[in-house]
Amino acid sequence: MEQQFTLTSEVRDNCLVLSTSGYVNNVGGEKIAEEFSRHFEGGTKKVIVNLAQSKVVNSIGMSFLIDIVDQLNDAGGKLVFTNLDPAVDKMLTIMGLFQFAGKAKNVDEALVSLTTGN
Amino acid sequence: MKASAPTGSHAHQLLNQIESLQDGFRKLSKAATLKDLADQFASILNRIFPNTQTHVFHRVDPGEHWQKHNGPGQPLPVPPDDLTDSSGYLDKTSRSICTVQRLVDKSQIGLVLTQRSGTRKYSDADVVSLRLFVQLFDNAYQSLLYRRKEKELVFALNHRVLQLNSLIDTGIEVSKLYQRIALHQLALERAASLTNASKGLVRVTSKNGVKEETFFPVGERTRKVENLSHRITSSFRFGGKTYTFKLFEKESRHGILPFEETDQLLLDALARQVHASLENRYLHQQELEKQKIEREISVAASIQQRILPEALPVIDGYDIAGINIPSKLVGGDYFDCISLPDGRYALVMADVAGKGMPAALLVSSLHAYLSAYLETHMSLAELAGRLNKVICRTSTPEKFITAFIALLTPGTGDIEAVNAGHNPVYWMKNDGTIQELKASGVPFGMLDLDLPYKNEQIRLGKGERVLLYTDGIPEATNQRSELYESASPLVDFLMRHKLAPAELFIKDLIDDIKSFTGDAPQSDDITALYLVRK
Repeated sequence: MEQQFTLTSEVRDNCLVLSTSGYVNNVGGEKIAEEFSRHFEGGTKKVIVNLAQSKVVNSIGMSFLIDIVDQLNDAGGKLVFTNLDPAVDKMLTIMGLFQFAGKAKNVDEALVSLTTGN
Repeated sequence: MKASAPTGSHAHQLLNQIESLQDGFRKLSKAATLKDLADQFASILNRIFPNTQTHVFHRVDPGEHWQKHNGPGQPLPVPPDDLTDSSGYLDKTSRSICTVQRLVDKSQIGLVLTQRSGTRKYSDADVVSLRLFVQLFDNAYQSLLYRRKEKELVFALNHRVLQLNSLIDTGIEVSKLYQRIALHQLALERAASLTNASKGLVRVTSKNGVKEETFFPVGERTRKVENLSHRITSSFRFGGKTYTFKLFEKESRHGILPFEETDQLLLDALARQVHASLENRYLHQQELEKQKIEREISVAASIQQRILPEALPVIDGYDIAGINIPSKLVGGDYFDCISLPDGRYALVMADVAGKGMPAALLVSSLHAYLSAYLETHMSLAELAGRLNKVICRTSTPEKFITAFIALLTPGTGDIEAVNAGHNPVYWMKNDGTIQELKASGVPFGMLDLDLPYKNEQIRLGKGERVLLYTDGIPEATNQRSELYESASPLVDFLMRHKLAPAELFIKDLIDDIKSFTGDAPQSDDITALYLVRK
């Protein structure tokens, strides 16, 4: 069952890894966007969003994720989503996010994808 | 194809300038935000007006202060307030020019161009040029708004598809869940996600108050969510309980919004899915229980049928007939006429308290023990005592057997009998009277207190008869719930049919009972054994 939202971030191999826990809604989306902006302004263009602990995303939270994807694409960067719950995976697919963002099983796989271009 | 001109020539410079402008216009048309647009536009203007600093302002309403989107910081050369839409302005020193343009969404853009150094002055022609370029900005801004609108429409369309898809998926997932709490959680998660609610609650109440509450997200508390102003509710009743689904505070990126009609429809649909799932689960359990009972009845019926005699023995000098009509629920009636090695016959009539498999098993036990004990030549009283003990050991206190067991010596007509709490057996004597052979001991399996069973001895004269039966006959009921015994006492029937042969007597008895009960369902087994000494 979904908890209150928390966010952790780390930089691995020049990639920003954002790991969420709980409901990705307006509050969650804002926190993700703020953390992303902080790193984006510092030059980070490769981002992994690990949604392992988030089983519920609403469209407001998703709009923040779309903004991040747009900003990265405009800047020649890339975002990869990982550890997706099937329901969230389907949601992001229907909303068209995977036309502009990647998807990987886990963070390690995403890191390989972002650092080698595979 | 790219145009070419000698390097350094005026034409070459002009071509470069045109290419640069074309590139600028391409970028302008692709700007994703107003700031991007302002940056790109300033970049173009800086190429058109050399040595210029471009300041781009925007305001949603003419009454508002200008918001700066581009150019150096303080001091801000804000467009003059008296500058009207679609007009240009050249200041007295010709060091700056400015213009204001009303855009397609009624907002305004203000442009101020200032000289970096004092080497050049702007002219009226520059003001006209600026007016022309600001039209380009308006076009690019329209394009930005269209793209943004298109993006919003695609997002909204996708979101509707998502809502529909999720509704279908949730219906399938909900039907697979068997834990009620998990059912509530899933429905809450989906409802909150699809309506952008920030919080949710499922409350189950009965007449005694709140039975359970499930929150989304976990950790919310009743008092906190109930104080929230924007909410929608959907509820249903099932199994004596009320299930209420509540969603609170519809989110947007600009604050909390009132819920829409669609949100209420979605919540209602999800609540209906949970309701249907609970009903289906209940019906499924009922069906399983019904199937289990039917299997049990089938097995019990088959056990009982194997124990009951296929045909009664032919006893020289006697006419005997019996019948067992099991009720739908399979009772525990048992009758038999067992030929013993010493030439005697054991007449048995028994009725187990209860129905179904337990009753059938107990009948089976009685049959087995009785068959074994009858071969030992013990007295009937001792046999009854032993049967009582073994039935006490092998059954629960609420399961007991009433039984009438008699040993007939055919040559003399002597009958030795014990009645373990069973209905009285009717002995129709030649003098026209009917004597009851009443209970002489407690039912088997009721009390393990070594209470004695008393033998009763009678001698059946020629032409005399005995009727053994179970309570399914006197307690047969019609559709008005009247008892057969009350309307038509068995002794009266006996008197009316005292000359009938055994087979006919049984047939007439059953016909009489059926005529009385009519279409009322048979509630208990009907069993009878009729013996006539010829």
